[in-house]
Amino acid sequence: MGDTKGEANDIVIRTEGVSKFFPGVQALKDLDFSVKRGEVHALCGENGAGKSTLMKTIVREYIEDEGNIFIEDQNVGEFGIRDVQKLGLSLIHQELNLIPMLSVAQNICLGREPTTKFGTIDWTAMRLMAAKFLNEITSEIDVNIKVENLSISQQQLVAIARSLVALPKFLILDEPTARLDQRASDSFFAFLETAKQKGLTVIYISHRLEEIYRICDRVTVLRDGRKIITAEINSLPQADLVKHMLGREITQQVPKEQVTIGNVKLSVRDLYPKEKGERISFDLRSGEILGIVGSIGAGKSEVARAIFGADPKNSGTIKIDEKEVRVATPQDSVRMGLALIPEERRDQGLVGAESVRRNMTLVALRKKFCIGPSWIDQNKEAEAVKTSIKDLGIATPTMEQEVQFLSGGTQQKVVVGKWLISDSEIFIFDEPTKGIDVGGKYDIYKIIVDLARKGASILFISNELMEVLSLCDRILVMFHGQIIKELQSVATNREELLFYVMGGRDYEQTVNNNKGNH
Amino acid sequence: MSKQSITTREIINNYGATFAFIFAIIVFSFTSRGFFSVQNLQNILVQSTSLGICAFGLTFVLMTGEIDMSYAGVIGLVGTVMAHMLKDGHTIGVVSFVCLGIGMGTGIFNALLIVVLKLPSFLVTVAVMFLSMGVERVISQGVTTWIRQPEILAIVQTKVGPVPVTVIYLFALFGICWIFQTQTKAGQYIQALGENISAVREVGIHAVLLKSMVFVIAGGFFAAAGFVETLRIGGGIMYAGKPLMVFVLAACFLGTATFKAGKVNFPGTLIGAFFLYTLLSGFTGLGLKFYFVPAAQGLILIISVAISSFRRGKIEQVQF
Repeated sequence: MGDTKGEANDIVIRTEGVSKFFPGVQALKDLDFSVKRGEVHALCGENGAGKSTLMKTIVREYIEDEGNIFIEDQNVGEFGIRDVQKLGLSLIHQELNLIPMLSVAQNICLGREPTTKFGTIDWTAMRLMAAKFLNEITSEIDVNIKVENLSISQQQLVAIARSLVALPKFLILDEPTARLDQRASDSFFAFLETAKQKGLTVIYISHRLEEIYRICDRVTVLRDGRKIITAEINSLPQADLVKHMLGREITQQVPKEQVTIGNVKLSVRDLYPKEKGERISFDLRSGEILGIVGSIGAGKSEVARAIFGADPKNSGTIKIDEKEVRVATPQDSVRMGLALIPEERRDQGLVGAESVRRNMTLVALRKKFCIGPSWIDQNKEAEAVKTSIKDLGIATPTMEQEVQFLSGGTQQKVVVGKWLISDSEIFIFDEPTKGIDVGGKYDIYKIIVDLARKGASILFISNELMEVLSLCDRILVMFHGQIIKELQSVATNREELLFYVMGGRDYEQTVNNNKGNH
Repeated sequence: MSKQSITTREIINNYGATFAFIFAIIVFSFTSRGFFSVQNLQNILVQSTSLGICAFGLTFVLMTGEIDMSYAGVIGLVGTVMAHMLKDGHTIGVVSFVCLGIGMGTGIFNALLIVVLKLPSFLVTVAVMFLSMGVERVISQGVTTWIRQPEILAIVQTKVGPVPVTVIYLFALFGICWIFQTQTKAGQYIQALGENISAVREVGIHAVLLKSMVFVIAGGFFAAAGFVETLRIGGGIMYAGKPLMVFVLAACFLGTATFKAGKVNFPGTLIGAFFLYTLLSGFTGLGLKFYFVPAAQGLILIISVAISSFRRGKIEQVQF
């Protein structure tokens, strides 16, 4: 409604004052967003900025709590998923919803199979139809192959081809290139160019600067569920885009202390995790907090899980205290004093229906609390758990409380407590503050800092640049499965860090170029 | 598929159970007394029919990733109701209609509990199995009611030449199921449903309705199996579905090792059904006493499930 008459026909997707609440968090705040016909519109923002939520609201997978959404001037407030699909809207999700046992052709035509006059599937027509849509993107995939035999990269292309079958007018792509290899990326961008010429409107969520500047016309930046800016891509230098994504400094106190850093504790050389990663090498010293950052799909968790032995690895050596060790299973790691605080704590770190007490002594039970082979020394166990609850400030009514009813932050502390009780010395934190409120985050930072002061070695994996910068001594940036940059926290800033996370090269030169242009 | 090379390993994986079946026939022909006679082969075929029909119903359900145990009760219930209605002089048309109603009604009940209320299918259908056994017991009072009209028994007990007519029913139903699975949209969607339900939802297919339909169709098959089984026996004997319970499951799981690696499929189920009765008949000829049959059934089920699980484990390592 704020648009002038002349532009009104150009705007095809428009949100007005859209807000969306999830338990404990407001994902979208009074958001106005509009997309013009025939443009490729980039949507940028840090993790949790609300990009995916906004897109899912537009395609009606989520229903907004406030505000209106218009598609071609039609209010879609009452519409369902199927209804907006009929308007020509197609969203390609981050997760690929393909059916592995069916062929490429069957997947592409799912729900729209051509039939013969007897009502059975017309296989020849289906293959032709699938090939037609697939050829718009790539000619290197045989439509008769089962999807389970394709690489992840090829599967992503198939998922894109499938969305074309509905002949969409508006295509929403949620980080499509996270899974694509170089070759597939090239054919995908060639496809986008052609699609753009044909008048397709594209909303493109991406974490990669190069891509955004290569194919997009305009860009909208979201931060904390608000729109920060919409601009022509040519009028917005890369460094400014990054600045908008980050915003003002968050006044978040991280209780960082000066700690003397000791000898090399953990040494990783030429590690090749089974998936997504190659030639990972780094040293971690005692008392050191080493950060690993990178966008979704960069391979951070894969590295953590490979070191810990939770996933198999292809090759690479791991040394602890300068002795080469074989870590093939989590049991090995536990013996070596390695601790993993996993990203999915509910699934991988805790036994939800068990008590705080049982969870905390799960790892060390055998080693420390058993009299004979299996008799649990209840008093000793209770004593250790009580101490930990006090030390870590775990907010639980009693130690017999089932952990599934505790808050996210408290659960995370229970996981940490589990490893403390088992005398671990090397801690791998994988996104420890994900989905935890501000107060809870602070407590976790404090625990980590305390651990480091006591001489533990800490690998801190996170997507939140701010916390990495203020907590870590050193930072490794991962992109596409490789460590592309090592930075000292004191000698860098968020702009530089985000620049590298988004796959940028040579920050100094880029910044200097910008200055020259102005 | 032309580009994929077919290795010996794949052949064994995909057709291993079929080879085992042929091998068993050959071995029994030489060792088992009276195995390779026309009458015995006819017997195997006739006995496989109700098992096969019932297993087709279960195959539909297994495709969606659920399970339905209610057949073991429905078959007996249908038999008892049939026998009583025929005794009371109702026409076979009305009786068949009622039987189908019982099966599909049970299917609707199952669908409500499993698909709508999202209760676990195994427990729900085991409960429904006992429920139908209970109802059956109330109706029959534990007494077998025989069917005395030869023209009705002939529906199942005649032969076309040397071929028992039930075999024709079985193959006709198999043909319908197979075409449905491989050649129709709904067949595709049912398979897709078990693999990745969000993929099915994403393209706008009504997943809840589809899954419910599968339970109702399966109920219909169970009723049909009960109908054939009752006429084969010649009356409504108590808990007629019970002896079939393990074999139906085993047929489906054996089928996953036949033709299509690790997935339930109709040709596999059909072969599985024949295979099971071949084994049983062969071992009986070798002198297996009837009281060992339950133990043999249990063993066969474990082997079938093991084959199926190992195969599947290998397949599902493909990560998404």
